[in-house]
Amino acid sequence: MTNDFILFFPVVLVSLGAIGLMLAGTCRCFRLEHAAWASGGLFGLAFLVQLSATLACDHSLYNSLFKDILVVSPFSKAAGLVILGCGLFSVCSSISYFKRNNFSGVEYYSLLLFAAAGMLLLTMTRELVTAFIALEIMSLAIYVLVGYDRDNVLSTEAVMKYLVLGAFGGAFFAMGGAFIFGAVGSTKFHLIGNFVATNGFSASPALLAGGFFIMVTLFFKAAAFPFHAWVLDVYDGASMPITGFMATALKTAIFAVFANFLLADAALQQGWVNVLFYIAILSMFMGNFIAIGQNSLKRMLAASGIVHSGYLLIGLVALGSQQQIPGSVIAYYLAAYAAGTLGIFSALSFLSGKGEQWKNFNDFKGLAKTNPYTAFAISIFLLSMAGIPPTAGFMGKLYIIIAAIKAGHVSLAVLGIVSSIIAMWYYLRLIVLMYFHEAERSFVEEYPCRVGMVSTFVLVLCVFAISLYPIAL
Amino acid sequence: MIHDYLVLSVILFCLGIVGVFARRNVFTVFMSVELMLNSANLAFIAFARLHQNMDGHVLALLVMAVAAAEVALALAVVILLHKQTGKLDTNVFSLLKG
Repeated sequence: MTNDFILFFPVVLVSLGAIGLMLAGTCRCFRLEHAAWASGGLFGLAFLVQLSATLACDHSLYNSLFKDILVVSPFSKAAGLVILGCGLFSVCSSISYFKRNNFSGVEYYSLLLFAAAGMLLLTMTRELVTAFIALEIMSLAIYVLVGYDRDNVLSTEAVMKYLVLGAFGGAFFAMGGAFIFGAVGSTKFHLIGNFVATNGFSASPALLAGGFFIMVTLFFKAAAFPFHAWVLDVYDGASMPITGFMATALKTAIFAVFANFLLADAALQQGWVNVLFYIAILSMFMGNFIAIGQNSLKRMLAASGIVHSGYLLIGLVALGSQQQIPGSVIAYYLAAYAAGTLGIFSALSFLSGKGEQWKNFNDFKGLAKTNPYTAFAISIFLLSMAGIPPTAGFMGKLYIIIAAIKAGHVSLAVLGIVSSIIAMWYYLRLIVLMYFHEAERSFVEEYPCRVGMVSTFVLVLCVFAISLYPIAL
Repeated sequence: MIHDYLVLSVILFCLGIVGVFARRNVFTVFMSVELMLNSANLAFIAFARLHQNMDGHVLALLVMAVAAAEVALALAVVILLHKQTGKLDTNVFSLLKG
């Protein structure tokens, strides 16, 4: 019972903190800085609590009350850690971002906590309608955060596009849940798994259709190949810290629930493995193709997020072959990717200036001459995302490719390597611009912000620290 | 009997999909999404009848709550859009490109 409480405590902490901040926002003496520090503190505390709970196998939370609806596994715990870490660093980059932009409010930090609460629930849930509700708690908070700058036409357009497509995807999830409920008579993952194990993957058309609808929603939310078009516009319209938070924490939560759903039964994963195989390949190459053509750094990072979704889908293809801890490769890749991406967005939060006026590749020419440390940090993050040793990104790609070979998909592994070579083109382009060109503008800080700098360098350390962490394949 | 309800729910769902893609007014697009969610509710209730248990009814109620929250946010976005552009036609939103 005590163990249950500790495992569930991060969710309680984050959601109560979100409600508390929302209420405190009505008080005039509660200022923005207080809200920022309070939400950062809550993320940090929840992270430590999550870290303190040790766990060897799957554990059903409050089994007499929830009846296998919430299950904590080592994989969901790792995903929760990544999400809470992303929240903490997003708060730090928000602090530096709002030194120059002043559309923030106390509710901004409260919504970050709400989104994190939905994501944490999403990593634990083993039931389709709970997953739907957690997905919507997360998405509704993210929609508001994307459109938080109410005077900016771009961000309103972004939230409109995201809301229409997100609600459309959510409706697919609800319908998929209904169909699976019709076929199985329950929406719990383990009962769906039992049904698939006894009756086969394509036993009833309702089960197939339901699985298909749920896949569509998850591919959409993860920005995988046929449903990737929204991601460029939404990332472009959202503010820098929110883009970083969406790119990392949201992806972590979606891949956690995706892996949990596929792990319900091996037959379910085997049934969808061909679809995952082709979507992984198409996501990687389509993402690379889009990223090469971008001039805006933010849009390039959005497109590279599609490529990373492709790599994570390779991890899902190889999911069945992992003996010790299923999903450990995916969790590792998510952590490595999160450190690099959050680092870049954290640096951009204080470099992009008022109203994000500098966000194209050419705006960062000669950065290394004036801000050598920041340029060095950005280079490390880019090298990690490109997959150059000894960074975390390299180890993540290595583990994913080894897992794919072990699962017998050698062609997928080869295509993954080819894609990462193509990806060098757009990652190294920024490094070349920063180091081998003369500066065209001065990068002098108007309001230097220590929090943003410190969090960026902590993330540089994270990139190396994560690469040293061993996982069992 | 239950079969008829399922066919109706699938028809409503397809109408919703068509509405999202074919309509150009933001209001109608959001109404189409609501139609899709409600067709899922109908499917939940019909399947609950098929399995002779109450689970589907509870799930439909939960989906309704989520749909209500989503509509509240959608209406807020519609007001914001109207304030900024004066139009509710999805064709005017083409600033984000590249």
